[in-house]
Amino acid sequence: MFIRSVGSDNRLNAFREEVRQFCREKIPAEIRRKQEKSQHLDKAEYDAWLKLLGEKGWLTGKWPKEYGGLGWEPEQFLVFEEELGKAGAPPLINFGINLAGPVIFTFGNDEQKKKYLADIAKNNTWWCQGYSEPGAGSDLASLKSRAVRDGDHYVVNGQKTWTSWAHWADMIFVLVRTDATVKKQAGISFLLIDMNTPGITVRPIIGITRHHHLNEVFFDNVRVPVENRIGEENQGWTYAKFLLANERLHSLSFAKFEAYLAKIRKALDVVKDGGRPLSEDPTYRRKLAELDVRMATAKALMADQLAAARTTGSPPMMGAAALKLRGTELQQSILQMGLEVLGRNGPVYQDLALEQNWDGEFVGPDVSAGLIYEHLYRRAATIYSGSNEVQRNIIAKGALGL
Amino acid sequence: MTSFSADERQLLDESLQNFLSEKYGFERWQQRSGPSGDQYGSNEWRQFADLGWLGVAIPEEFGGTGGGLTELAIVMAAAGRHMVLEGLLGTVVLGAGAIELAGTQAQKGDLLPKIAAGELRLAFCHSEQDAGYARDYVTTIARPVDGGYALEGRKAFTLGAQAADLLVVSARVGAADGPVGLFLVPRETDGVSLNIAPALDARLGAEVRLSARVPGSTLLGRADVDRTASIDHLIDRAAIAVCAEACGAMAEATQNTIEYLKVREQFGQPLAKFQVLQHRLVDMSLACEEARAIVHAALEALDVGAASAQRTVWQAKVQTAQSARFVGTQSLQLHGGIGMTDELKAGHLYKRLCVCEAMFGDADWYLKKLSQTLPEHIRARTQDDRMKPPEVA
Ligand SMILES: Cc1cc2nc3c(=O)[nH]c(=O)nc-3n(C[C@H](O)[C@H](O)[C@H](O)COP(=O)(O)OP(=O)(O)OC[C@H]3O[C@@H](n4cnc5c(N)ncnc54)[C@H](O)[C@@H]3O)c2cc1C
Repeated sequence: MFIRSVGSDNRLNAFREEVRQFCREKIPAEIRRKQEKSQHLDKAEYDAWLKLLGEKGWLTGKWPKEYGGLGWEPEQFLVFEEELGKAGAPPLINFGINLAGPVIFTFGNDEQKKKYLADIAKNNTWWCQGYSEPGAGSDLASLKSRAVRDGDHYVVNGQKTWTSWAHWADMIFVLVRTDATVKKQAGISFLLIDMNTPGITVRPIIGITRHHHLNEVFFDNVRVPVENRIGEENQGWTYAKFLLANERLHSLSFAKFEAYLAKIRKALDVVKDGGRPLSEDPTYRRKLAELDVRMATAKALMADQLAAARTTGSPPMMGAAALKLRGTELQQSILQMGLEVLGRNGPVYQDLALEQNWDGEFVGPDVSAGLIYEHLYRRAATIYSGSNEVQRNIIAKGALGL
Repeated sequence: MTSFSADERQLLDESLQNFLSEKYGFERWQQRSGPSGDQYGSNEWRQFADLGWLGVAIPEEFGGTGGGLTELAIVMAAAGRHMVLEGLLGTVVLGAGAIELAGTQAQKGDLLPKIAAGELRLAFCHSEQDAGYARDYVTTIARPVDGGYALEGRKAFTLGAQAADLLVVSARVGAADGPVGLFLVPRETDGVSLNIAPALDARLGAEVRLSARVPGSTLLGRADVDRTASIDHLIDRAAIAVCAEACGAMAEATQNTIEYLKVREQFGQPLAKFQVLQHRLVDMSLACEEARAIVHAALEALDVGAASAQRTVWQAKVQTAQSARFVGTQSLQLHGGIGMTDELKAGHLYKRLCVCEAMFGDADWYLKKLSQTLPEHIRARTQDDRMKPPEVA
């Protein structure tokens, strides 16, 4: 206990300043304006911003240098993300950078690296994640979409669901069953599929936010070149798990939490009870203090786990699952407080105010639509990236050996 | 005091469940709940009246069936379970309640029968932007002018205000420190403007701006009577009605979750077989039972006019808010991805429960009120208490 140093690294101060300046100068005014109003960005706006980061090389800062990355330590990425958050930059939605890329450079062949990595790094391609199916959620390995070999192609049939941003994607990575006769984990392959291939249909799913970002993706005799398979046939589960571990780590973003808190503080000044702003009420000060303690603890846990990973070389099993659990619980508590503050205002949810051309009038604080949208959306944080029940199972089995 | 026997209550409940499950199904709800949908279905409203729900707590002499708050709670619980969009609370609990408490005999004779018959819909526009949950914060002013009053002010978001015939508006009569009066302002009055918005649970409501002249007859009762205490009492009744609504919604959410986990299979077995999920379902059921029990206690306390009624109502609102949050969030969690869509009742029930949790005061607000008014026997002793000589039995 208390052996390794977990202190912050002052060498990153210059980098921090550089990111700040970049954000000050480069975030397009229109995007900044929309971010302030929590309005949805369209794909072109995300692209424009991510491309700027891509040109700078920062999008793939974490990737190893040999694959066009900058070889950042996790600490440097945290600084990067924190500064983006503070500057009001759009979130880094990127299934290519965080999920597909690392699988490709770790398990892909040279052809695949050449074909995909540069486009991911420059944000020329949008990726989406075709893991979940209607019958395969927590029990992902029971997936039924199948790929049958036909010469130098696979013919893919089946359905994926809850596919975030599939309607914007150029590429999808999917898990498919290539052998139904063996143990379920042993018959899965990992394919990269061009979303423009004939036979793919994307249907929108409207969320409880009343907004569209989820989809169903149907595959009807979709022909996929065998060269689009990652690694070995039937070894897909190994790559899938590698990717899931990365995904878990990325589900935690302190920058986002700080942004929520900034909005909540704004609301506390505006919303009143008996004529006095809630910011004066000890109840809410105490809540802020409690969230602050939890945030400090989560950051310390993160630093501690990263330090452990540095010495042992791999992220500890407990680490990613623990951070996912506590991070998402904290996220929901912060957004719960947001809703509590806005409760005095109905709570009204003017979801249309999040659309670009809304010219209505706010009822109550202008931060409310954005905060409530996040409150609703992030009820899913304890479900996606492996539900929190599943994370507890992982810790129970993997770390505690139960 | 209520005139309903247990059998009559049973019949009322059955009529609600039968009608609402047949005519108020989820698919129809989805069509009607959008911003342009017919949320205040005039057809539905008439049928509510025909079934006797709207007059359930209106005295018989005014065209109702003379029930009490418990009967209203039976209606509200069913409304919660089926996510009824129409403004039952504003019309039947608050609107009719205000007329009964503050109206003249003539006003009661004119208006209450119309409410019972489904001909009059009301919204209770009392709270103001800066009031929050405080019940005595009124800055809207009604200045006497020739033949009536000039109303000036702004009322906070009120569910159903966009569709009400009459808005029950509280205002200080004469001056900023005048007595609080209640006015029945037709929504279509010149100088009354509405900013309509959807609540979190998709029900529409509006913020109301008043800069209007209204005739003297719009005032409920006499001009020199301060209605602050009546409003306080009315909001207690509304708060417990909302608790009943939440009880209905959480029972439905829990039942749906249990049903879903019985049929959803993962890892080769129904999710309901996982013990950790069974325990969660148990805790959800307990949360429902606890809320229902204390709400029932509060209803009876109010119906018999017990001295402790207000405390019990506040306690019930705290417990119900806590139960609602637990049941709502866990219902979503246990549904997994499917619960996060607009297509399932789970998400809508969650949002309804969030609204119920907030309306008329959340758990924090009532806990604060309760802590400020702790009865002597459960209070921590203060310096002053310790100076007092010991009581001799
Ligand atoms: C907003 C959102 C975005 C998503 N984006 C994507 C995406 O881009 N790509 C993609 O592939 N998927 C995506 N998903 C899907 C997500 O990964 C799944 O929802 C998740 O894996 C859970 O699966 P399920 O929804 O089928 O729930 P189920 O597996 O049916 O689980 C239902 C409930 O049972 C619990 N449970 C299940 N098994 C156990 C057990 N053994 N022990 C205890 N509890 C258990 C779960 O924790 C959950 O609470 C997304 C989901 C959401 C909500």
